[in-house]
Amino acid sequence: MYRKIIKRSLSNMRDSYLIYILACSFAIGVFGILLSLGDNPSLRSALHLWQAEGSEFGDIGYGMGSNWILDIVETMSGIFAFFAAVYMIYVGGFFIKQQRNEFLTFEKLGMPQYVIVTISFFQTAIVQALAWVLGILAIFIFQKFMGMLLLYVMRIRFDFGMHISTSYIWTMLKIFGFSTLLLSVINAFRTIRILQKRKRKTLIKTRWWLRIPAGLFGLVLLFSAQVCTAFLFYDMHTISYSSKPITEVFYIMLADIFGTYLVYYGFLPSILNIMQKIRSLSYSGLNIFSFKYMKERLFQNISILWFVTELSALALALLTLCYFGYRAVYQNYDTSYPFELAANKDTVKVIKGELKKSDAKIKGEYKTAVKINLVSYYSKENQTYVRQPMTFMSYTDYKELPKRMHKGNSKINSKQFLKIDYNSSLMYSNKLSEHDIEVKNAPLIQTAKIGNSFPYGSSMHFGPMMIVPDNYYKKMPAEVTDTFYGWDFKKGDRLSHTQLEKLDNHRNAYVMKVDFASSLSKSTVEVMKNQPLKKYETGTYTQAGFLRQGNLKKRFKQGGGFYLYIVALFSVALLVALGSVLTLRVNLRDDYQSRQLRTLQKIGVEESEIKGIIRRENTLTFLLPIIFALIQAYTSIAMFDFGRHLSKNIILIYAGYVVLYCLFGLISYRISWRGVRQKFNL
Amino acid sequence: MQIVVKNISKDFGKKKNAVHAIKDFSLKVDHGEFLGIMGPSGAGKTTLLNMISTNERPDHGQVIIDGLDLTKLHDRDQAKYRRNKMGFIYQSFELLDSLNVKENVILPLALNRSNKKLIEERFNYMMKLLNVENLSDRAIDELSLGQRQIIAAARALINNPEILFADEPTGSLDSKSATILLNYMQLINQREKTTILMATHDAFTASYCSRVVFIKDGVVFSEIVNPGDRDKFFEQIINMQRTIGGGNYFNVSENN
Repeated sequence: MYRKIIKRSLSNMRDSYLIYILACSFAIGVFGILLSLGDNPSLRSALHLWQAEGSEFGDIGYGMGSNWILDIVETMSGIFAFFAAVYMIYVGGFFIKQQRNEFLTFEKLGMPQYVIVTISFFQTAIVQALAWVLGILAIFIFQKFMGMLLLYVMRIRFDFGMHISTSYIWTMLKIFGFSTLLLSVINAFRTIRILQKRKRKTLIKTRWWLRIPAGLFGLVLLFSAQVCTAFLFYDMHTISYSSKPITEVFYIMLADIFGTYLVYYGFLPSILNIMQKIRSLSYSGLNIFSFKYMKERLFQNISILWFVTELSALALALLTLCYFGYRAVYQNYDTSYPFELAANKDTVKVIKGELKKSDAKIKGEYKTAVKINLVSYYSKENQTYVRQPMTFMSYTDYKELPKRMHKGNSKINSKQFLKIDYNSSLMYSNKLSEHDIEVKNAPLIQTAKIGNSFPYGSSMHFGPMMIVPDNYYKKMPAEVTDTFYGWDFKKGDRLSHTQLEKLDNHRNAYVMKVDFASSLSKSTVEVMKNQPLKKYETGTYTQAGFLRQGNLKKRFKQGGGFYLYIVALFSVALLVALGSVLTLRVNLRDDYQSRQLRTLQKIGVEESEIKGIIRRENTLTFLLPIIFALIQAYTSIAMFDFGRHLSKNIILIYAGYVVLYCLFGLISYRISWRGVRQKFNL
Repeated sequence: MQIVVKNISKDFGKKKNAVHAIKDFSLKVDHGEFLGIMGPSGAGKTTLLNMISTNERPDHGQVIIDGLDLTKLHDRDQAKYRRNKMGFIYQSFELLDSLNVKENVILPLALNRSNKKLIEERFNYMMKLLNVENLSDRAIDELSLGQRQIIAAARALINNPEILFADEPTGSLDSKSATILLNYMQLINQREKTTILMATHDAFTASYCSRVVFIKDGVVFSEIVNPGDRDKFFEQIINMQRTIGGGNYFNVSENN
């Protein structure tokens, strides 16, 4: 008989259980796939570049040991497992709550408590086992696909081989056993509590004297947070270094979090209450019922709606951070390394020779003459006077370079000056102009626009460089003249290790020793070739002989791809979790709430009108959190975008999230309506 | 309103487990008649009421009210017809817990989007008629069972239905509350000429009807017309119950 009871309970709530099982198996699948990637041999060999070479060419792969894949995926899957467990424990409780009356009836009929508890224990264990079976099945089916996707987003052309080791299967079985036991025990405890408490707290105290002022205060908090966000946009643009923006962010976060709760708690029910009191509104059609019904559902779900709102806002904020972080790194990379291979006039011959030997397919070849001269100016950023050598390039030569070289810089015309300097901040890009730059034996540059994108890469220059009008360039004297060369290749430069070792001797082209006197005109530059450089000697500057950036580019794309993969996986998982929580909340109505819909039908309410109530309920449950989450997430744009502007991409990311979220709302509505129809034979 | 039921049948379940709840059933109810439907549990009383009131569709046959075949109407039109022309009183009251007394009573008028003035007028009239004016602002769970049934009756009658369906209306009530409710129903039947169809297994309740149809196993077993004397009618009903079920079905002892 007990088997029959469990079977009947599972069958009665099959729609809701199905959603829960699917969401759980998705989480288990993602977790399992992440974990299995750690010891996947094909992924290891595909990413050998990261393991062996570490940080040879730059800072992107710095610090990566040979087990980095395992480390990262274990950390990620650990974080994922934690959140998945919280979800499973929390949502698993919905079903026990739903069976409250049933359990109490069993007890009234004389069933011993331990039997009821055992029933709930086994019910949970069966559901968990089903979720795990589906989840593990998903791992077997999708591991190859997810691995291929990972390699695709990392732009690695490698055949991903499916690999499930016995130790992995053992680990998964252990986790399955432990989690099923844990969840079943938790639900058994929930059942004990139900049987001990017995009396149901159905009466929700309206307490309008508290709700109305609390709701209004919440509204004030939300409004003030929006005003503060407007200030934040301005302050991040102008005084991002000060503590004011941090205080603003802190205030906005608090105001948003508490404001939203108070609005849910007080303001929205009050609005429904007022609408219900306006007779011309409430005495019209089903409003008389639906206003009260919605209010009741709102009262019941305040905490969940708030929880979902805050998690959605967090997900959007994370996506914003990820996007702007990625963009900043990408821009920084783009401005620092414009060519796959760059050289100067001293090394060009050797490089060309090696390229010929390696049979590299050259896609583009560029060369630009530059002058090096001494400059002096007041640095606004460091608030000091700076004297240093600077590379000068003519406007025409600058414009002849590929577009990507000047895309990130301020736009200039043929009569304007552009100073290209290092960007001290990864996120923040200063677009103000520089004034009064003194150049040795040349006219003073009164105003120069600012940029961070160095033609031929920042490492090819001593310090900042200057794009000057053609006339100025022709007339200006030079301490040193040089020519920079740059190449783009089809499928890389193909230089072998031996060739690279040989080229290593040409890493430094020459050294300039600058003797700064009291004025620029008295200062002198001495060029020393093939001389060993004493490290950190004052006034010495080294000109790089060549720069090879192909590998770094590859590594950057791989890192970026891996990062995107993880972020996308986490975002989708979060979305699935939030969507299913809301769907289950909508679907698992109290018995008396379901009965009311049936009564309406009995007294002549049309099917379409009942459908309307379900639709309104779904809309309310899904729309409220996303609206409030969007309002809150807007702040994160102000925080991370440093007040630039709302870019098209971030709008697209938000739109994508909202579309997926709404899709869940739609599915939830369909399931909910199907449940009502089946229950009442509508 | 004249109701003509022609050869309706209804089965529940499938194939071997199929139960024939109503079999080729025909019935005619005249305008303003107070008809009782009696029979043992499982005889098909509720199913018959549900089919006549369009809450369920018959597998075969027709339900014609004033020349209109309701079985041919779309679900949406049936719901509209139900809302405008019919009232319902159930044993379980079917009141909406989330609404208070007033909101429950005026629900049919609100659903029809009647104007506020009419709603208030009809509500006050019904509450006065049923003598429950003091209950207006009460919540449903604050009412006794008898009061709940009176409120359900008020809701059923507020939009002047032409047909009132009552399914075991006194099933949950004590005899005093049952008498009050039945007197009201009789009053409505006589004053408003409302056609009433009432399913019951209680002889006392049935004695308020002008005619009682007895059904057994989904078919008409017999019928009795009220001779004008309630005590005599009550006796006739009791006798018929004995005939149908040997008295055991209706908790009436052989000695009565």
